[in-house]
Amino acid sequence: MKPFSVQDDKKVTDLNRRQFFKVSGVAGGGLVLGLGMSASKHANAQLIAEGPSELSPYVQIQSNGRINIFSKNPECGQGIKTGLPLIIAEELDVRWEDVDVIQADIDPTKYGMQLAGGSMSTPMNWTAMRQAGATARLMILAAAAQQLYVPIAELRTSESKVINTTTGDEYNYSEFAELAATMPIPTVEELSLKDPSDFTLLGKRYSGVDNHELVTGKPLFGIDQNRPDMAYATYTKSPALGGTAISFNEVHIKSLNGVIDAFIIAPVGDLIGQGMNGAAIFGGVAIVANSTWAAMKAKQELEVEWDNSAADTNASWSKLVANAESIADQDGPMELLNNGDVDAAFANADQIIESFYEFPYQSHVNLEPQNCTALYENGRIELWAPSQTPTFAEPGVAAIAGISPENVVLNQTRIGGGFGRRLNNDFAFEVTAIARLMEGTPVKLQWTREDDMAFDFYRPGGFHSYKAALNAEGIMVAFSDHFITVAQDENSQRPIEAANLSLDILPMEHLENVRVTQTLQPAAIQTGYMRAPGSNAYAFTFQSFLHEVAEAAGKDYRDFLLDMLDREDLPAPPMPEGMPPGLPAPVAFSNERARNVIASVTDRAEWGRAMPEGRALGLAFYYSHSGYVAQVADVSVNSQKEMTVHKVWSVADFGFIHNLNGAENQVQGSVLDGLSQLMYAKISFEGAVIEQSNFHQYPLLRMSNAPAVDTHFLEPIDVFPSGSGEPALPPALPAIANAIYSASGERVRKTPLSELGYTLV
Amino acid sequence: MATLNINGQSMDIGELDPSTPLLWVLRDELGLVGTKYGCGIAQCGACTVHLDGAPVRSCQIPVGTLENQQITTIEGLATADGTLNPVQQAWIEHDVPQCGYCQAGQIMSATALLSKNSNPSDAEIDASMSGNICRCATYIRIKAAIKTAAQTASGTAFYDATSQPETA
Repeated sequence: MKPFSVQDDKKVTDLNRRQFFKVSGVAGGGLVLGLGMSASKHANAQLIAEGPSELSPYVQIQSNGRINIFSKNPECGQGIKTGLPLIIAEELDVRWEDVDVIQADIDPTKYGMQLAGGSMSTPMNWTAMRQAGATARLMILAAAAQQLYVPIAELRTSESKVINTTTGDEYNYSEFAELAATMPIPTVEELSLKDPSDFTLLGKRYSGVDNHELVTGKPLFGIDQNRPDMAYATYTKSPALGGTAISFNEVHIKSLNGVIDAFIIAPVGDLIGQGMNGAAIFGGVAIVANSTWAAMKAKQELEVEWDNSAADTNASWSKLVANAESIADQDGPMELLNNGDVDAAFANADQIIESFYEFPYQSHVNLEPQNCTALYENGRIELWAPSQTPTFAEPGVAAIAGISPENVVLNQTRIGGGFGRRLNNDFAFEVTAIARLMEGTPVKLQWTREDDMAFDFYRPGGFHSYKAALNAEGIMVAFSDHFITVAQDENSQRPIEAANLSLDILPMEHLENVRVTQTLQPAAIQTGYMRAPGSNAYAFTFQSFLHEVAEAAGKDYRDFLLDMLDREDLPAPPMPEGMPPGLPAPVAFSNERARNVIASVTDRAEWGRAMPEGRALGLAFYYSHSGYVAQVADVSVNSQKEMTVHKVWSVADFGFIHNLNGAENQVQGSVLDGLSQLMYAKISFEGAVIEQSNFHQYPLLRMSNAPAVDTHFLEPIDVFPSGSGEPALPPALPAIANAIYSASGERVRKTPLSELGYTLV
Repeated sequence: MATLNINGQSMDIGELDPSTPLLWVLRDELGLVGTKYGCGIAQCGACTVHLDGAPVRSCQIPVGTLENQQITTIEGLATADGTLNPVQQAWIEHDVPQCGYCQAGQIMSATALLSKNSNPSDAEIDASMSGNICRCATYIRIKAAIKTAAQTASGTAFYDATSQPETA
């Protein structure tokens, strides 16, 4: 079992009393060597400042032999707090049992970009973490050579020990740690990283480092934060997104039991339009009380006069649907892609297949409702924030508090579900505005579940009107897509956040004749990134439609996909603009890796076998976040549309898998999350007011309907790792939908299926 | 002055409004934050605790109704010396948690099930666990862990309602 981490203030104080030695860390992630830790804003700095000279952002070795490894990125369930330290431990050449993992402070000068998003944490940090471990190891060896009067070439390391290869004597790392901290920092060129075949830790199964604390109910999450003399706040915004508060029943609210204060907060910035990096909040009414319950009860009695003139009260999902249906048979006014001669190909087609697909807005519904704790005092603010992008939060907090970023201290907490919701830091900005008016009092802002569902940054809904041409041989020769999506207002020339279409989705790059056009429909509803953004909607529509085309061509879908993917790779795409530094260069889509996962999953599921009446296998493939995933679903459905998903087989190629437990957990969760979205997930709105309020109107999959998942990874060891948190979700929806078609003959072209009468039994 | 019996200890809750849900008394007044807020309407199960051994949604239980009842929270499952309950051990062994937020509620539902049915079928596990949402959808591992715990613990008590919590 893994020991749990050292995090809270009391433990830090206890540790201060011990002798600490530090080994300097390394390159990568913007580390500045030699920076004095005493200048740090953070509590953890103390424990290091009392020790010898050098800064240690990733590795500390204690005199008792325990090894502290700092995990830089937010943990939101993706397992990064276990995954990144494992990589360091491998190159440091230590036993995992000797390691304590500590959540790092937010400090870009030491750690560079600290975020959880885009399945990028592993690929972005893979090399830097290896170098961090290898650097510390080399410095320990150098110190051992000096201390033992032995040439460094006669020393080796193994399992947290330095070994004299001549005498066989073994020494714990801690014996050299103090001297190692004074050694010159090796250059990257001096480091020798392990050959992957020599890995002793990576590639096996590890239980999460916080699991002991989680199963015993320790305070890890944002919602669990507690400060001395803390007050509790709710914040109420206009149901019409973008409205502001004019007045409220202030005298009554302030008279209620437990209420400390109540006040209006003016809106800041353009929350709907500016995306995830800006500092913006909706206006509203804050109630500060002496308990969460007192603040929630007072919120129920709140009567607010709203000014909804800034809200887009025309925003209506049903109107977007009606309008999209009315223009489905046209091309859109904006041309995104036009390759070959699409018109000629359709004119000469033997068969034309046309279909219209609809996907709704969705909410992230993190099980931990949004919250944040802050203390503003003496021109300085400290926050305890469950944020996926703490690096982005600090400047926004500073702007809203009206102070300089140097006076913002942001502490990472564990996150009760990310899924992309907490890439936005609106909860941190709201508590900043409240704490600013409660100077000297720590305030925990707690959203209700109803707040959380009504003020998400939603996965945008949209539509695809597809058309495919088959020639006389049943070969797909042309494809067109009229993509109907959302823009913030009628003057906008681009989709709203996360509502764009990437132009490399199968079959766009695999056919000569392809046209993609776009229509923008206005709706000022704030949107954002949700687990496998774009892909979580487009996999269902594209892979369902391609299955329709294969059926029309009389081809088995496996063969149809393998034929389409039987071609040379295109060159690698350029690095997209605005990406954070440290990312590996983009690689070309590999047709071979795509074919391999399809071949493997169809083998494992025994694709093509006879199935009973009303039961069938469905297949889908999708490529996202540099991950290749093919899945087969085994589904029964009867004439009452009662369906059971018996099992889903998943084969993924994510490159090297360094924690098999973690990757498998992500795939299992992704498949079940995909089923949940397919069946239930829909947010609708009328007059810019969200119509769902809690889980009775926005159901999630429950255990009784969860299928078995067969999880398999193709592991080419020479392939750089990609992230596993997202790419296994998109193909789950079309794999199940394609099985429904094969089992029942009914093609589902919109989600959620509950609206089409389907139930899980 | 009202007192509650929580994890075998008598805890003073002062002059609290008796309509306050147990969930918020545990979290805000007593510092037992392992019990989580998820929905406030008994839909998600994140706030599950035991009342005299039976699983209940603490967001729906007014604290004024609880005198003379034994309340057990996630903090009270391990023994005083820190030995984990078989369900907690199985959760670690199977690496069940992803974000981990719902897991205290899941574990409380699972321990309540196993304490009255030491060898539940799949259908019985589904029936007992379907009040608990896991947004990360760790259901496959939850079910596997429950089966492991059932084997480990067969014939032994799941917890002693009068035992002391690991930490108060």
